[in-house]
Amino acid sequence: MESRNRLLLLASAVAATLLLSGCASLRWPWGKDKQIEEQQTEAEAAEEEAEEQDVSPPRVIEPNVARRKIKTPKIDNENWEVGVGLGFMTIEDFGTNVTYAGQLTYHVTEDFFFRADLGQSTAGKTSFETLGGNIELLTGDERRFTYYSLSLGYNFLPGEVYLGRNLAMNSGFYLLGGIGSVDFAGDNRLTVNLGAGYRVLPTDWLAIHIGVQDRVFDSDLLGETKVTNNIETLLSATVFF
Amino acid sequence: MEPSITTTRSRRLRNSFSALALFACFFSVTALAKQTEEEKAAKAAAAQEKLLQVFVSEPYLELATGPGRGYAVFHVVPREQSIDVLYRRTDWFKVRDEQGVEGWARARDMRRTKLADGSPFVFNLGDRAGFTSHDWELGIGGGDYGGANLISAYGAWSLTDNMKVEITLSQFLGNSSNGYKAEAGILHVIVPEWRVSPILELGTGVVNTQPRATIVLPEDRTDQTAYAGVGIRAYLTRRFFLRADYRWHTLFTSRDDNQELEEWKVAIACFF
Repeated sequence: MESRNRLLLLASAVAATLLLSGCASLRWPWGKDKQIEEQQTEAEAAEEEAEEQDVSPPRVIEPNVARRKIKTPKIDNENWEVGVGLGFMTIEDFGTNVTYAGQLTYHVTEDFFFRADLGQSTAGKTSFETLGGNIELLTGDERRFTYYSLSLGYNFLPGEVYLGRNLAMNSGFYLLGGIGSVDFAGDNRLTVNLGAGYRVLPTDWLAIHIGVQDRVFDSDLLGETKVTNNIETLLSATVFF
Repeated sequence: MEPSITTTRSRRLRNSFSALALFACFFSVTALAKQTEEEKAAKAAAAQEKLLQVFVSEPYLELATGPGRGYAVFHVVPREQSIDVLYRRTDWFKVRDEQGVEGWARARDMRRTKLADGSPFVFNLGDRAGFTSHDWELGIGGGDYGGANLISAYGAWSLTDNMKVEITLSQFLGNSSNGYKAEAGILHVIVPEWRVSPILELGTGVVNTQPRATIVLPEDRTDQTAYAGVGIRAYLTRRFFLRADYRWHTLFTSRDDNQELEEWKVAIACFF
């Protein structure tokens, strides 16, 4: 009897152990929520961990100092040259007279430049007027010889000149050619100009020029139309800016 | 050991040498002081003028006596030294080194210098890239305006690489009349990257006509004009290009009919 009871007890104990251990593996409805919560917290933790891993590499101290911007000062371009001149204008048939001129140059490259000239002279008397007594071919206003030209120049022979032992100045011989017009004897005429000049630069901003230009145009003042050559010799001073 | 005569002599010699060295040292120190003063003065002047400072990054930078081909190289600035850029003339820069020596440096050499932050010194050069993209144009030319000889000069400013605003001043000299005209217009470069590109023009202006004395209409008159034009521009070399165009003008005269005029011209121009 005793042994039977003992057997029953043992058997029940074994059954209880088996049953209870199985409970954990079974999904009971009352434990469902808790399980989901647990899963969620686990997932969150995993996410946080992942986030931490992501964030960690760029966690470098970012400098709070703005990069210094270097302001580059503007470089002064000195390609323009302006000046005035005084010289002689030999107007074909009308003698040689004083001329005043202004010039504006733009240096495009070290070799080439554009130049605009504007000048005025007064024509003298033709030999016909001088010999003929009281004959006047032109009125006072008509004798005014106003001209301009737009030219392209070429620095043909750049170099240096030496004044004495210790002084060297930059110099240059240049060639010029262009077109323009002349207002003379009550008419405007197209001119073609060709010339050459020599410039000496005592300083980098100042230049002294001696130049000769032939201003060619068609004239019919003395009866028949002919090509006239009018030689301008000019001494001028210019400044670079 | 007794000192020999030679040692005594040498000691004397050493003494005199040391005296000489001391003197030289003093001299060089004063020279150095003078030099640093000069440098300081140069630096102060540079700071006052707010000049651009660049550093030589090639083995050396050559300075010439003049801004052009053929001028002698008289000085070299060694690597790492700084130079102040005083001004520029065409493709030459007038610069001053740390010792205060001034000279002309070639633009293509200046391209290889560096700014204080190590970045390269960049500036515009007269080349194909400059032809495509630049601010200003200047040109002179000649042609024909309604049968009269035409002399003209123009200046243009770039709004974009394609679009420019231009002003043209011209004089025409004909058999029946002479005159001046001033026009303002818009210029469209169709393909600015091309060496030769077509252009379109549209503009307006005023024309002052002075009939020649022998012809019927004796009085001067000023009329408004409008034009449309086509043309081409072609890159030549360095900063130069050729421009040729054909314009149709409508002259709004005070008479009953407007006058139609044709103009063509060729100009040599530069950009900067």
